[in-house]
Amino acid sequence: MATETIARAHDADARVVRTGVVRRLFRRVEVGAFIGAVVVWVFFALVAPANWLTITGVSRILDSASTLGIMAVAVALLMIGGEFDLSAGVLTGTCGLIAGMLATQLGLSIWPAMAVSLVFALAVGYFNGWMVVNTRLPSFIVTLATFFILRGANVGVTRLVTQRVLVSNIDQVAGFMDARNLFDLEFSLLGAQFRTSTIWWIVIAFIATWVLQRTRYGNWIFAVGGDAVAARNVGVPADRVKIALFMTTSVAAWLVGMMSIVRLRSAVASEGIGQEFVYIIAVVTGGCLLTGGYGSVIGACIGALIFGMARVGIVFAGWDTDWFYSFLGIMLLVAVLVNNYTRRRAEAVGIAAARARTEEEGQ
Amino acid sequence: MSRIGKTMSALIALAVIFSVVGCVSAPAPAEPAVQKPSAPQVVQAKLTFGMAVHANPAEDLFWGVVEKGARDAAATYGITLKSGGSGQPKEQAQLIEDYVAAKVDGIFVSLANPDALKDAVKKATDAGIPVITINSGASVYKQFGALTHVGQTERVAGQGAGEQFNQAGAKKVLCVIHEEANIGLEERCDGLKDSLKGEVVRFNVATTGVKDVKGTTAAIQDKLTADKTIDGILALNPVVGIAARDAVKAAQGSQKVATFDLSTDVLDAIAAGELMFAVDQQQYLQGYLPVVLLYLYKTNLNTVGGGLPVLTGPGIVDKSNAATVKDLAKKGTR
Amino acid sequence: MTAEPLLEVRHLTKLFGSVIALDDVSAKVYRGEVTCLLGDNGAGKSTLIKILSGVFPPTDGEYLFEGKPCHFRSPREARALGIATVYQDLSLLPLMPVWRNFFLGAEPEKGTALLRRFDVATAKRIVRDELAKMGITVHDLDQPVGTMSGGERQSLAIARAVYFGAKVLILDEPTAALGVKQAGMVLRYVAQAKARNLGVIFISHNPQHAYTVGDRFVILKRGRVLGSWTKQELSLAEMIYCMSGADELETLSAELDQIARGNGPQAATRAA
Repeated sequence: MATETIARAHDADARVVRTGVVRRLFRRVEVGAFIGAVVVWVFFALVAPANWLTITGVSRILDSASTLGIMAVAVALLMIGGEFDLSAGVLTGTCGLIAGMLATQLGLSIWPAMAVSLVFALAVGYFNGWMVVNTRLPSFIVTLATFFILRGANVGVTRLVTQRVLVSNIDQVAGFMDARNLFDLEFSLLGAQFRTSTIWWIVIAFIATWVLQRTRYGNWIFAVGGDAVAARNVGVPADRVKIALFMTTSVAAWLVGMMSIVRLRSAVASEGIGQEFVYIIAVVTGGCLLTGGYGSVIGACIGALIFGMARVGIVFAGWDTDWFYSFLGIMLLVAVLVNNYTRRRAEAVGIAAARARTEEEGQ
Repeated sequence: MSRIGKTMSALIALAVIFSVVGCVSAPAPAEPAVQKPSAPQVVQAKLTFGMAVHANPAEDLFWGVVEKGARDAAATYGITLKSGGSGQPKEQAQLIEDYVAAKVDGIFVSLANPDALKDAVKKATDAGIPVITINSGASVYKQFGALTHVGQTERVAGQGAGEQFNQAGAKKVLCVIHEEANIGLEERCDGLKDSLKGEVVRFNVATTGVKDVKGTTAAIQDKLTADKTIDGILALNPVVGIAARDAVKAAQGSQKVATFDLSTDVLDAIAAGELMFAVDQQQYLQGYLPVVLLYLYKTNLNTVGGGLPVLTGPGIVDKSNAATVKDLAKKGTR
Repeated sequence: MTAEPLLEVRHLTKLFGSVIALDDVSAKVYRGEVTCLLGDNGAGKSTLIKILSGVFPPTDGEYLFEGKPCHFRSPREARALGIATVYQDLSLLPLMPVWRNFFLGAEPEKGTALLRRFDVATAKRIVRDELAKMGITVHDLDQPVGTMSGGERQSLAIARAVYFGAKVLILDEPTAALGVKQAGMVLRYVAQAKARNLGVIFISHNPQHAYTVGDRFVILKRGRVLGSWTKQELSLAEMIYCMSGADELETLSAELDQIARGNGPQAATRAA
């Protein structure tokens, strides 16, 4: 009799759990962001076709999106791992200032200055992660504290050292051009100017996607973000994973900081402030859940791309940039709604199955 | 010269035609508040200029006036204006590059951080786009290949304020920084330091700034209470100027207060003797003039200044001229 | 009966500060048997299984596995020895696909050095096979676990534990919050695990479920062992009687009598 019961339950499975290609597609995390990106692209293609539909237009969008994209990749991993980093934006500034000041004030070549800056970034990431893991405080609070500490130190230390809020003449430092060629070289492709930062972005996104989807660490990232206790119970080293994620974010901030100083030949104490929310916007637009455990790197990259398109599109269209933030807000809202909708459609399969079972049990 | 005469007469002719026809859509020259012209009053090729400054003009009082000047000039000359700005140098540089990509006919930029914009400006000049620097950048504009520079450095303006405090006999002046890491504000304080025959105390109220004026007022008041020797305050923003006045009142002090830039409140306070003076950079001109100069360059290859920057200040507004400037400030042009 | 117990604890004590969670608890688990751990809320069941699964060490007492003493520093160590725990929350991540959940924490890998990666094809094949062995068919392994039914999730968790070479399977209230039919499904998988010669520790406060699959019963009360019996020594009725706590039940019926006679519970307490 028990055998029969189970057999019948499985018939129910066979009846409802049949996933079509469309449904599978809709289950992709990125689908909402992808649709959004297409809509924004088509929109500006209609509004400002002359500049938009050129290779130069593409290169402008990529320039605008690349450093944001690099941060979005790291922040996406962190958010999938269930944590935030509000200090990521200001840390890009801190890293640039440290490298810039060491190089210009101590007369170091650019490379050791950058190396020290990297060590500092890793330390900040470790500190954030260690605090979150050991105090069990929300990362929102811990990294907010870090944010304020760095924000103050950026201005305070820079003024102490340079008497200004700016480190300039970084381009006079030994090795500057090499660093520039590595981090932010411009090159011509199909008649438009692209930057190595775009290549960095693509490579980093590829590696991060691979790690997330195809390695055990990726599985652990999903797990610690979904339910750290459950993950720990099955032997995932949750604390180590989280600390590693914070450090990854810091390294990304360092990289973006280096790109910034070689491009701008200077470092400003206000660099990066407020950007942390832009990262989060890009990542959430890309389909990551704020609560963790769900999301994709590709989605975050598409989120950054949408942001880049919006920024360039508004200029090309000749609109009042006054409205940029409103546009951003609407975009975020629409993206999140679309994500919600697609996720529910994806889950409808399972929900239907569950409902069929409940009804059967009720009989 | 004759060409300008022709365009002027064409302009007048157009204005007459429009007023006769009774067309309401044409912006009358006397009312420059209209932002986009429905019909160009000056007959010429379609021009697009881009303005890229080191603050978002939508969120900044000072740069809002600059942008208004640029828009008014653009409306008058039938020019399409793209404007924007960011406190993040990278975004400002990217904006310039966006303009280059969009093949605008002229660009004017503020060079608060020349290093950061060097490459972007070079791209524009390499692409044959004329560039004018505004506000900051007087020392480097030639080296950058810009046509000319309109404005004055913040430092010179700060020095102007210092002279005024010297005349008033101030010995210890508070320089109120209301935004962190804003290069322009720091330079104003540096200028004050240059010329003041006394001590300058840099006072950072960036945590409250203009977003929490009550908090800024309280902070200044506390500072005055803590240091009785302060006898002057230089605010770097009209809102902060009014806050400083209120703080002096609340602390029952007698410190002399001055501010950068104008607002109707500031002018009233100057008229009432509560504020000593306001440093007026006439930033409206820093938006208006580049448009005109770029227009003249594009249509007539004119250049202005004879190799020297075009200075828009520092003008000092005090009790003697506050009343006359007030009507203009109401229109948002001063 | 197997001569040597697979798992044994002797005189376990666990203190949380000044609170005594477990006090002198001893128990044995044999291969191919289901040992039921019974008791009311707060009896110390969860503390005991957390010690057994290596979440935290006991304050005092011995823990023997296959005759050797164990001192686990993490659940990973316990699992490596073959002590698998299926928690009430199942340690399944609702948003993660079935196959990712199955291998969480023990992902099969291939490749070397920097190219070491999750062997996805192998993982999916194993999950499909293992679930089929337990009689579960999942058409879409990419389906998030959150969309499975409660019984299916329990079964998935059990299948996972069995696959990973569990010698002892600790099931924490696997039938709680399940309907009759779903619970039946789970009990069947428990019986299958037993048939595969695993030692099963079945935690429950549902005596019917426990008595259906159990061979041996340990009843905990307020951190102490009230008694342990084999199925032969104990009827279902006796077990229910012991579980609810004999003395308390008598007090309760006395109280109920008092209430029926119109007196308050205070009177009953005084009488007791």
